[in-house]
Amino acid sequence: MIFRIDPTAGVPLYEQLAAQVRVGISRGELTTGERLPAARDLADSLDVNVHTVLKAYQLLRDDGLVELRRGRGAVVAATATGDTAALHAAVRALADEAARLGTSPQTVISLLEEQLR
Amino acid sequence: MTRPDGARPDHDPTARGLRSRRVVALASTLASLAVLAVGYLVPLRWVDELPDPVATHWGTDGPDGFTSLDGIGLLAPTLVMAALVVLLGVLIAVLGTAAFARRVLAGTSVGLAALVATLQIVSLGTQRGLADARDATDAGIGVSLLVALLVGATVGLALPRDRPLPATAPVDPDAPRASLDPHERAAWVARTRGGPGLAIGALAIAGTAVVAVVLETWWLLLLPVLLGLLLAAMLEFVVRVDERGLQVCSALGVPRTLVPADEVERAGVVAVDPVRDFGGWGWRVGRGGRVGVVVRKGPGLLVERTGGRSFVVTVDDPDEGAALLNALADRARR
Repeated sequence: MIFRIDPTAGVPLYEQLAAQVRVGISRGELTTGERLPAARDLADSLDVNVHTVLKAYQLLRDDGLVELRRGRGAVVAATATGDTAALHAAVRALADEAARLGTSPQTVISLLEEQLR
Repeated sequence: MTRPDGARPDHDPTARGLRSRRVVALASTLASLAVLAVGYLVPLRWVDELPDPVATHWGTDGPDGFTSLDGIGLLAPTLVMAALVVLLGVLIAVLGTAAFARRVLAGTSVGLAALVATLQIVSLGTQRGLADARDATDAGIGVSLLVALLVGATVGLALPRDRPLPATAPVDPDAPRASLDPHERAAWVARTRGGPGLAIGALAIAGTAVVAVVLETWWLLLLPVLLGLLLAAMLEFVVRVDERGLQVCSALGVPRTLVPADEVERAGVVAVDPVRDFGGWGWRVGRGGRVGVVVRKGPGLLVERTGGRSFVVTVDDPDEGAALLNALADRARR
């Protein structure tokens, strides 16, 4: 998968990286047992500090999405991938409904955040 | 030679590439022929001291093949090898667009010449002063192989790497591109590993080790050791697309290569059959002088590079990497 960071986005870089792995897992682009790039390689390619990538991986480990194994790096955990088709359908339905009502994306995201709190 | 745009041929990248191809082709072929000449002429000076016929083939129990000093018999290996090095020279001139291809082919040429020359010098040298060639002790295969490997590797490593050759034209407008925001940095990282080459390599290592032990020919153990190192370097490769371009790096750290983003003319996806396209697995020169890191049959990321060069690496989901590489190559043009 392609990792992207936007240093001007105002979101910490490690949060940006962790968010992409979460999306990758939920979309099925990353599957159980798959190895994430070595932190050194990814940090070098994105021209960020290796600790930024390690922090993102630790965040994902704390969420139970990846396992950090000595010598193997970060591996997508078995518990991370499940049948998320229903969730995707619900999100799509939400987006369609918001579009029908003309609700702004910011409002939809705020509503979601409220609900998830 | 002048051209309408006034560029002198030395400053024209394509002409420069063609010239380095011809120079390497000519130089390596002449060097190989010189080595072959030495390998033939040195034993010729010993004619008075050699038995006639001389031993030219060894079995497990000593010499079992003999050749008369008269006639063309002794010249035959040199002639066959001379034809082969000329053929390799032609291949370099025609296909040697990439420095890696030139290094492999030139190293092979001079290494093979050194193998034949050393074999002749050592096997005939040990027969000086013998009355009967059946008393000849050793063909010197071990030392000859070692010399050939060292000479070939030295020639390959001594030849220059690819020089920077930035593209002057934009990236192929029809090539797929990943969308990138102006402030965004992006990277694609993949691994490629396994494949039938590993099993075959392991078999070769086991086979040569068994032969060495059974024959109690201990220098032969060098072969499985060298093959083992080679195999370890080919176990796994990390493939990365980022701001710099496409990097392929063995998990061991070497060998590695970079196709700079500003030399990418087009990145795409191609179906690779290592045996058909490259004659085997690993880091190779294939059809048309294409350089490939090929570990298995299936999709590969193909980069068409300036100077008529192309590079392919077998990797899963190469379309993503190719699209990002095209987008970053666009960016490198600005």
